[in-house]
Amino acid sequence: MTNRRKYIVDTTLRDGEQSPGMAFSIREKVTIAKSLDALGVSRIEAGTPAMGREECRAFEKIKLACQKAQIIGWNRMNLGDISQSIDCGADIIHVCVPASDLLIREKLRTTRSQVLETLSACAAAIHDEKRELTIGLEDASRADWDFVVLLIETARDLGATTLRFSDTVGIMSPSLCKATISRIPDNIDIEVHMHNDLGMAVANSIQGLRSGAKYADSTLFGIGERAGNCNLEHLLIATQGQLDFGISLDELQWRQADLKSIIYKNKLTYA
Amino acid sequence: MVTIIDRTLTTFNTAGITSQDLNHFCDLLFTCGVTKIELTPDLVARLNFPETAAGLKKWLLGRNFFLTQLTPIAADSMRCSSKEPKPLWQLEANDLLEKNIPVSKINPLQHRKIRITGLDDLMTRDYPAIFKTLLSSGVETLDFCPGNQKHCATAIAMEWLHAGGQSISCGFTNHHNFAPLEEVLMSLSLSLPDNFTGDLSVLSELRSLYEKLSGQPVSKMKAIIGEDIFKVESGIHVDGVLKNPRTYEPFNPQTVGSQREIVLGKHSGRQSILYKLNQPDLSESAAHSILKQIKKRCSQLGRNLSDLELRTLASEVQNDKQTEVYC
Repeated sequence: MTNRRKYIVDTTLRDGEQSPGMAFSIREKVTIAKSLDALGVSRIEAGTPAMGREECRAFEKIKLACQKAQIIGWNRMNLGDISQSIDCGADIIHVCVPASDLLIREKLRTTRSQVLETLSACAAAIHDEKRELTIGLEDASRADWDFVVLLIETARDLGATTLRFSDTVGIMSPSLCKATISRIPDNIDIEVHMHNDLGMAVANSIQGLRSGAKYADSTLFGIGERAGNCNLEHLLIATQGQLDFGISLDELQWRQADLKSIIYKNKLTYA
Repeated sequence: MVTIIDRTLTTFNTAGITSQDLNHFCDLLFTCGVTKIELTPDLVARLNFPETAAGLKKWLLGRNFFLTQLTPIAADSMRCSSKEPKPLWQLEANDLLEKNIPVSKINPLQHRKIRITGLDDLMTRDYPAIFKTLLSSGVETLDFCPGNQKHCATAIAMEWLHAGGQSISCGFTNHHNFAPLEEVLMSLSLSLPDNFTGDLSVLSELRSLYEKLSGQPVSKMKAIIGEDIFKVESGIHVDGVLKNPRTYEPFNPQTVGSQREIVLGKHSGRQSILYKLNQPDLSESAAHSILKQIKKRCSQLGRNLSDLELRTLASEVQNDKQTEVYC
């Protein structure tokens, strides 16, 4: 197994808040971010600045409130969106790149070569502002492996510090995850972003981490699109004594209990 | 074909369950792909069983038993007279010896029929080697019922089947310490389709009946069966799903008896407004104003807006009214 010290990228405020019906005010976002920062989460994906002025204001306040965690601004592969993330003061500018032909063809209605071209332009804009660039491969688990490799090489050449491998629709198995992450060259930091559609997000994250990934994405209570993301509490329970995230499970549990009323305002979704 | 054993009815208080509900629950479990249903002796009397065909007495020894489906030929042969209803199910001895053993003591297994329980922490161990040891132990029947205290039971169950395991025990939803049945069945249908013949479209009905029988609500975001898992709110996902649902769905919602729904919330985009209001000629500025109001309301309320609330809000914005909407 590779290095036992691993790091959490919390996306409660971005992917988590995209759960239907979830909506945090600026004050609530800051409260959650401060708690995550105190807990020892290394990176906080605080939202999507392109959503508008309120999201940008939340970003600025989160940046001021957090002392240790790096704050990530999530972006589509779009120069306008990236400009807003930069203006909000995000430490890390994350660019999400559709990797599967299904998303490239059906959603973006574009081509692989156009994706690569746009990504290069986005990277240049981020470097011009001297910000850290991370790149996410959306729907990588359903993508053609040759194109994934090309995107990884491109990400490295464009100066991305971290490559996020996303199982966007949560269809991977632990053995597939292990085989896939093991094949990625170790000249770029790997982050795994697992969804829970088949109930295997925690197990897949563990296998990704054991196969060389440095970061795992997670959310409080496992909230997120559809069946959610990797649940941070469950990940810590499952890896106790095996992997070190620098986060205390006890502290997470009491902080999470404090945040429950903010996260679940009207809903009986928790189980 | 792998054997899928469901243990749900062994885990909660079944005293108040009617015969009709019990039979319906078992029927739905078989329909969705379960091979055997494990039951406690006190449930025997509430199954609609033709006694002559069942030979119940020998089962009332305090042990759990398995309910299995009869093939049509076997059902005909078990019917004593044409007036007697055709039996659908039969009882089978549960003669599996349960063993909750640490990984270090897996070998040797000296019993002929074994159910391995626990092993919750396999995901952080060298589980392929452990499975290899188990599968080469020479046991005649080897069922595996992985524990879920580490939240990895489904993954362990599926890795077991991929490694060559032929029998797995589960329980419906995650209110107990078993691999959630619905997750195992869906994973099986996607990754080992040749080993799966069930109809998962009954899962939605099964969830409702489970909630009634157990008195426990299923989480709205529970994988496979949660009520909210096919609701789509964020602009990026709505855009993708409207172009082609496969972009952001792991499987068609109808497969599990559900349906997708575009909902309006803080993360909605213009496409959602146009889709919901069915007004293709809505101006850019009107859509922008409506969207702004939706985001504001949803942030205040912490929930989605209903279609009625949207229409009211849209007409207010379009008529340039400032009346407060009481949601």
